[in-house]
Amino acid sequence: MMILLLIAVSMLTFAAMSFLGDPLFNILGPVAGDTENPENLAKIEAAKEQYYLDKPLPERYARWAGDFVTGDFGVQFSTDGQPPVSGLLKERLPRTLQLMLMAQFLALAIAIPWGVVTASRANGVVDRASTFTSFMFVSLPNFALAVILFYIFALKLDWLPDTYHATDPFWGLTHRHRLVQLVLPAFTLALPGASVYQRLLRTDLITTLQEDFILMARAKGVPKWRVLFRHALRPSMFSVITIFGINAGALIGGALVVEIYFRIPGVGTAIVEAVLREDFPVVLALVMVIATAFVVLNFIVDVFYTFLDPRVRR
Amino acid sequence: MTDTLSSPSSPSGDPIVEIIDTADERASDTIEKRTLGLGFWLCIGWLVFICGLAALAPILPLKDPDENFLQFEEKESALTGRVTEAPVQPPYGPSAEHWFGTDLDARDMLSRTIYGARVSLVVGFAAIAFGMLVGGSLGMVAGFVGGWFDRVVSFCFLVLLSFPALILAILITSLASRSLFTIALTLGILSVSPVGRLARAATLVFAEREFVTAARTLGAKPSRIIRREILPNVMIPMSALALLGMAVSIVAEGALAFLGLSVEKGSTWGKLIRTAVNSTSDLESAPWMAFTPIGFLFLTVMALNFAGDRLRDYFDVKELSI
Repeated sequence: MMILLLIAVSMLTFAAMSFLGDPLFNILGPVAGDTENPENLAKIEAAKEQYYLDKPLPERYARWAGDFVTGDFGVQFSTDGQPPVSGLLKERLPRTLQLMLMAQFLALAIAIPWGVVTASRANGVVDRASTFTSFMFVSLPNFALAVILFYIFALKLDWLPDTYHATDPFWGLTHRHRLVQLVLPAFTLALPGASVYQRLLRTDLITTLQEDFILMARAKGVPKWRVLFRHALRPSMFSVITIFGINAGALIGGALVVEIYFRIPGVGTAIVEAVLREDFPVVLALVMVIATAFVVLNFIVDVFYTFLDPRVRR
Repeated sequence: MTDTLSSPSSPSGDPIVEIIDTADERASDTIEKRTLGLGFWLCIGWLVFICGLAALAPILPLKDPDENFLQFEEKESALTGRVTEAPVQPPYGPSAEHWFGTDLDARDMLSRTIYGARVSLVVGFAAIAFGMLVGGSLGMVAGFVGGWFDRVVSFCFLVLLSFPALILAILITSLASRSLFTIALTLGILSVSPVGRLARAATLVFAEREFVTAARTLGAKPSRIIRREILPNVMIPMSALALLGMAVSIVAEGALAFLGLSVEKGSTWGKLIRTAVNSTSDLESAPWMAFTPIGFLFLTVMALNFAGDRLRDYFDVKELSI
């Protein structure tokens, strides 16, 4: 089923790109439009043959799919085809993964204490205020949040650097280190995520807190905070883990607006550039990476369930 | 946010005390659940207000969004000592004349934002209308007919859903022309599968109900059953989804505009934000240029989300998600 899904996604991308674009211009430049001159015509024919553009669509798809499953992602549609798509991926993917990991880590670090506090005092003042706050973060589009955070923390307060340099070293705590440079974009992605996780965690925690084993633990005299974090938290993480996995998959591709705003040359930036250049192999490879990540992460989430709750193991 | 309503309030705040008290407070909660609440009507009020502003913009006493309101100041030339009138370098900050300031060309931000709402709202509305029409009818027929048709349609929905949405939008908008029509259509296609899945799920539930069996026994044709028996019931959860979906479409348009891929002619909220944040120095010196459209966009999206959420709770639709 999952494989079928990926095939369908790749076919859709392949068809959309083939019907709507003409990649010849990107390979040859203005020469591609000149069909009068026999010399240029020969070049066009050669390029078509080199990139299999003269073959019918199904054959091209089959050729591409055959290469793809063996790990050969093809060459870029450019004059020299360099660097190959896999090289581009190797360069861009780590940056996006760093951003994604940081964002997800921040989101959980915010959401878990937030969710526990609000659930333990459900419908109190803090809880009502936080319901409103989380609703605000969910409703704020990520590009707007990016602008707001950037304005406050990079421009007005000047706590965080406003530029990202792919060449800077990663580990370190000054403005010249990418770890610090990633904080703003990571927060932009983390805050809406944290709000969603918090809302789910809160709902599940409230349900868990009404179960008998919590009452039992309290009756034995286990302190309240220990009950919340040790006994109640683990069985309440189901929805959060589900959405966490889905979100992680979505962030690999969905972070593109944030990546572009903060000028991080990651996967999202690469895909926008490639689409605008009508660079089919790059777009295809990136779309497939994103879709595969999505599918695989969903699978991992399923496996993870058994860790969290032995009851599912049957 | 069913959670806010289903969880009882506790005087002590201790979770353990809450557990014991739950049974006593259920009754009042159930009654409370059947009202939409003040927040809902506030949101609807804002939506009506912003739609009215956008629709009536040409006849309201607003400033022309394309007119340059250059301000002049008297300047004394250091060389000759003569006093001359020279234009002040825009953008101008918020003032009594321009409530939300002006942009780099001294154009009024408020009226530009309101005119921008016209495109943003139309795109959002047209997109979800398309999703409702195509996704809704496909989902209902698939859920009602079942069999291979259902399987094919469900699979198509799944494919569309697992495709990174924004990337599909970029793909279409960058390769096709970027008219109001294509943008709305693209976002409409993206909203087909969530709407369709909900319509199908709701239809599956209602197709089992007695009134459908009764209609069938009376000899009603399938098309009539879908139109007269199922559609009115499916419309209820769909109305909540329509509000949420419109919010998503408006945000998606903003994201496209942010990437420079939205409607070519006319201004939208996304395009206004993009122009304002294009250079860091502009954002620092004239933040109102970015924050006026952001504020309007945020309020509208929040109103749509909140109203949709409340409506969903009101009708208690479980399977609704986007």
